[in-house]
Amino acid sequence: MSPSTPESGDDGLTPRRWLADLAAREQRLLHLAILAGLVAGGATIVQMGLLAWIVSALLVQNVSPGGLVWAFVAAMGAIGVRALAQWGQEVVAQEASLRIRRVARHELLEHLEALGPVRLAGRHSAGLGGQLVEQIEALDGYFARFLPQLRLAVALPLVILAVVAWLDWLVAILLLLSMPLIPLFMALVGMGAERLNQEQFAAVTRLAGHFLDRVRGITTLQLFNCTTSASEEVFARADDYRRRSMRTLRLAFLSSAVLEFFASVAIAVLAVYIGFGLLGYIDFGPSSELTLFSGLTILLLAPEFFQPLRSLSQHYHDRAAALGAADGLVALLNEPLSEDASEGERCGVAPATAVDLRGVSISHPGRGRVLGPIDLEVAAGSTVALVGPSGAGKSSLLQLIAGFIDPHTGRMGIAHENGFAWMDQRPLLIHGTIADNLRLAAPHANDAQLLAALGRAGLGELLARLPEGLDTSLGERGVGLSGGQAQRLALARVFLSPARLVLLDEPTASLDEISEALVIEGLRALAEEGRTLVIATHHPALMTLASQVVRLDQGRIVAEESA
Amino acid sequence: MTPGDRRGGSAWRELGNELCPWLRQLGQRRRRLVLGALLLASTVGAAIGLLALSGWFITATALTGTLLAAGAVARLDVYVPGGGIRFFALTRTVSRYVERLYNHDTVLRLLADLRAVMFRVLAGLDAQALSRRRASEWLNRLTADIDTLDSLYLRLLAPPAVALLAILVVVVLLASFTPLVGGIIGLVLMALWGWLVVGQAWLGMSPSQRRVATLDRLRGHVIEHLQGLGELRAYGSLSMHRRRIFDEEDALYRDQRQLGRITALGNALAGLGVSLVMLLVLWLAALAYRAEALSGPLMVMMPLAVLALNEAFAVLPAAFTQLGATRAAARRLNALKGSSSAIVETATASSIHEGAVELRLEAASLHYPDSLSPALDEISLTLGRGERVALLGASGAGKSSVAMLLTRLQDPSRGRVTLNGVDLRELSLEALRSRIACLTQSTELFHDSIAVNLRLARPEASDAELWRVLEAVELADWAERLPRQLETPVGEGGRQLSGGQARRLGLARVLLRESPVVILDEPFSGLDRPLAERIAARLDAWLAGKTVLFLVHQLGNGQVAPPGIRRSLKLVQGRIAS
Repeated sequence: MSPSTPESGDDGLTPRRWLADLAAREQRLLHLAILAGLVAGGATIVQMGLLAWIVSALLVQNVSPGGLVWAFVAAMGAIGVRALAQWGQEVVAQEASLRIRRVARHELLEHLEALGPVRLAGRHSAGLGGQLVEQIEALDGYFARFLPQLRLAVALPLVILAVVAWLDWLVAILLLLSMPLIPLFMALVGMGAERLNQEQFAAVTRLAGHFLDRVRGITTLQLFNCTTSASEEVFARADDYRRRSMRTLRLAFLSSAVLEFFASVAIAVLAVYIGFGLLGYIDFGPSSELTLFSGLTILLLAPEFFQPLRSLSQHYHDRAAALGAADGLVALLNEPLSEDASEGERCGVAPATAVDLRGVSISHPGRGRVLGPIDLEVAAGSTVALVGPSGAGKSSLLQLIAGFIDPHTGRMGIAHENGFAWMDQRPLLIHGTIADNLRLAAPHANDAQLLAALGRAGLGELLARLPEGLDTSLGERGVGLSGGQAQRLALARVFLSPARLVLLDEPTASLDEISEALVIEGLRALAEEGRTLVIATHHPALMTLASQVVRLDQGRIVAEESA
Repeated sequence: MTPGDRRGGSAWRELGNELCPWLRQLGQRRRRLVLGALLLASTVGAAIGLLALSGWFITATALTGTLLAAGAVARLDVYVPGGGIRFFALTRTVSRYVERLYNHDTVLRLLADLRAVMFRVLAGLDAQALSRRRASEWLNRLTADIDTLDSLYLRLLAPPAVALLAILVVVVLLASFTPLVGGIIGLVLMALWGWLVVGQAWLGMSPSQRRVATLDRLRGHVIEHLQGLGELRAYGSLSMHRRRIFDEEDALYRDQRQLGRITALGNALAGLGVSLVMLLVLWLAALAYRAEALSGPLMVMMPLAVLALNEAFAVLPAAFTQLGATRAAARRLNALKGSSSAIVETATASSIHEGAVELRLEAASLHYPDSLSPALDEISLTLGRGERVALLGASGAGKSSVAMLLTRLQDPSRGRVTLNGVDLRELSLEALRSRIACLTQSTELFHDSIAVNLRLARPEASDAELWRVLEAVELADWAERLPRQLETPVGEGGRQLSGGQARRLGLARVLLRESPVVILDEPFSGLDRPLAERIAARLDAWLAGKTVLFLVHQLGNGQVAPPGIRRSLKLVQGRIAS
């Protein structure tokens, strides 16, 4: 969690630093994975050495196979150890990656929660959902494969180099010379791939947002006969994604091709050098001392010399993918928790006051001042109706009182006993039962309380018709419920909530007269319980319910009257 | 041969049936697929050739060198094997690069095809099928599920085929020198191949099948969490809802851990198996050498050829452990494609004559199998030419369902809907919908500019026409003050706008459409009275001569009435009240 203040705005967290911090949390497991990789590499060297030794014993020393049983058994042992160590490396590194991804997701979720609903309203929630699910999962390869392999790619070639140098120093020099070239090539290729990969990630996020948007509005597309053009658009977007991907891949594959080339050419060059050396065609250097054993060992170790680097380059796209994902995720984490320009302050309130605003205004980036400066005092237990033309700033004022927006200027005090209750025109309906949806507001409410709340919101009759009652499942956005029913369900939550302050945005916007009367009755009951109600509304009946009517126009209070 | 086979062939047959339509889809690009597999095979073949020939060469030179050192006369042609080694080295590099690029391009081409195909499938579904599913699950269907199907070719078809080919090459190579060794090794390698393909798939089947669904739920919870942040924060239930997210994450990671272990097992077994077979080959070849049935260089070449198989086998365990994910994706997409609730056009669909339109519901009933809302029950209703009718009713009474029947977003379960006396099912969908402008109960705005949202109704509309309809709903002044005016993005689902602004933008979009029939569902909801009255007056002029259906909760009671209503009917729980 980055505790940003307006002063420190951008705390400079970079994708690389964030990934390094995450890796540091599971350093022990990652080290264990590297150790297992080293053991596997050592076992491979032993295996190859034994293989060459067996061949040499058979062909040069003319030992019978029966006399080499122990060598075969030892080779089997080395093969077994290698398999075990490989298994261990994979399992341990995966565990580290799982733990790291869990921590990263929790950190991000916490930050988004702290940013609040109004700051998130301008973002695609599907895009954010994708970031919190897919893009965090995209970090997997980096921690599970790339990081351990990065160390192994340095250590294992050095060990093999030492063995080869002992056998034939000229070969070792050849290998050594090829070594610095490889990372150079890879860095060149990797840099380009990384940038492209980031672009591609942005494209994937946009693509996800585009799809969800089109699918959500598919009814409108059907009604306007736009489904054909929309599916063409879908194809065009996907094809664009392909072209972007191919640009990335052309470079990404180049880095592995470079390594393939080195590995293949090294085997070819060494095979020819060793062969000519064994024939005695080369009359300089150590080649006169080459034997079948040393020659074959070198040949078998040459691919192993390049193998760790080849694996690394295969996992290089894991790194690019993780950096690409981390870029977007860190941008979210770096988003300061409050507006830079926010100079408004919060203060306490007098005992009998629920809301106290002094010279408060709100600004949205790019849209300028949307509200204020206004002064408003709401007495505890009173009912305030916010009225005025649409777009006058009623919703913004409610969001300000709720604390979803910070004041740009002025002082504000809100009494938040037991939190507050909230209902807007797009109620949250979770994928679950009716009871699950209600218990969001009151986790410990019993069924009788739930039923009572539904009754007060005018849903009693509907519930009576449902065979499964409170256990009836609802889909996303309240599928199965009509718009008005969904809104009444959200209203039932208000009734259940113990909050003293109730903020309502158009609570009767789509209710029929019977439910509407029930709702107004319920709101009156809430007011009589001593709760403070702030209602943005156009409805005359709700205005009569109010003890104070505040009229807004173009973000300013133009009239304030007490009933 | 493997536990999977013994468990009964029916499960595998089912798997085959599920993947079959997608294999056929891939088959449309058969040439690219075959070419890609051949490139893959040449890479593996070159690897085998390189290592085997190098081993042969070193041994041959060593033995010749020993003879020469002993003073004997010996000759070895070094140029042919040397050239062969260089050839294999270059082939391996080039064909690997080309193969990877070519195959990825193929796969992404397939994906773009598949995405468009699936979107068309979705666009053809009726309202009930569309609303039954969660929007975020759809996203998954359209992207992740189709992405998962790429593994069909690049991960699941080509590699095992190439591995089989490589086994064949090695076995033929071995058998040509000593048939017995070839036979034995062939059997052992086939068993290993079988385990890596069938065994790994069997072990990983259930956790990998669950994976996509778990991710789906996790994403759904996260999106709910972020969209409902206001209410969750108000009620202090953030941590409670967060628990739902974390529980799903735990389930995800339990399966991932299990799959990771299975994959690690497969990888270890592949390495172990190939290396042990290599030792076995060496042993058998050594015996053959002692029996003078085999030369020394060939004895060395044989185990090295086997060792090169590592490359062909290494990719199998990870791919086949995840087979269940491909299967689950294929199954979900199959269900969507085979959905019975598609709106189908008849082959003889007729167009509609120009001019005024009469719409009728004739004893139309609508029954949603799993909806809480009451079904429409034998509704009969006539909208005469140029008539304005109001259909009243509480929320959930079935008003929106009537609109869906009239626009053929949904076909009636019984009865029929006619336009100028012709059943809607006989008409071309395009013709029908171009005659009707419909403002739905919830305004669906797209994450695009104001202009793009408006032009859905009439793509060829000029800017002046857009300003005119914005004027009609009194959004023109507001839009003019925006820095980017008509190009201002409206946010996801119009969230950058207030509820009233979004509603008016939806209304403006309908106004832009020139059609003889207009259906307006609560046109003034969320608007204050004076504004609603002014808009109603303009609406009156625009509606002149059109056949109009208003869907409203009630008339009177302080609400602004839609203009020019000649007749009103009341709907109560899916029936017309007398």
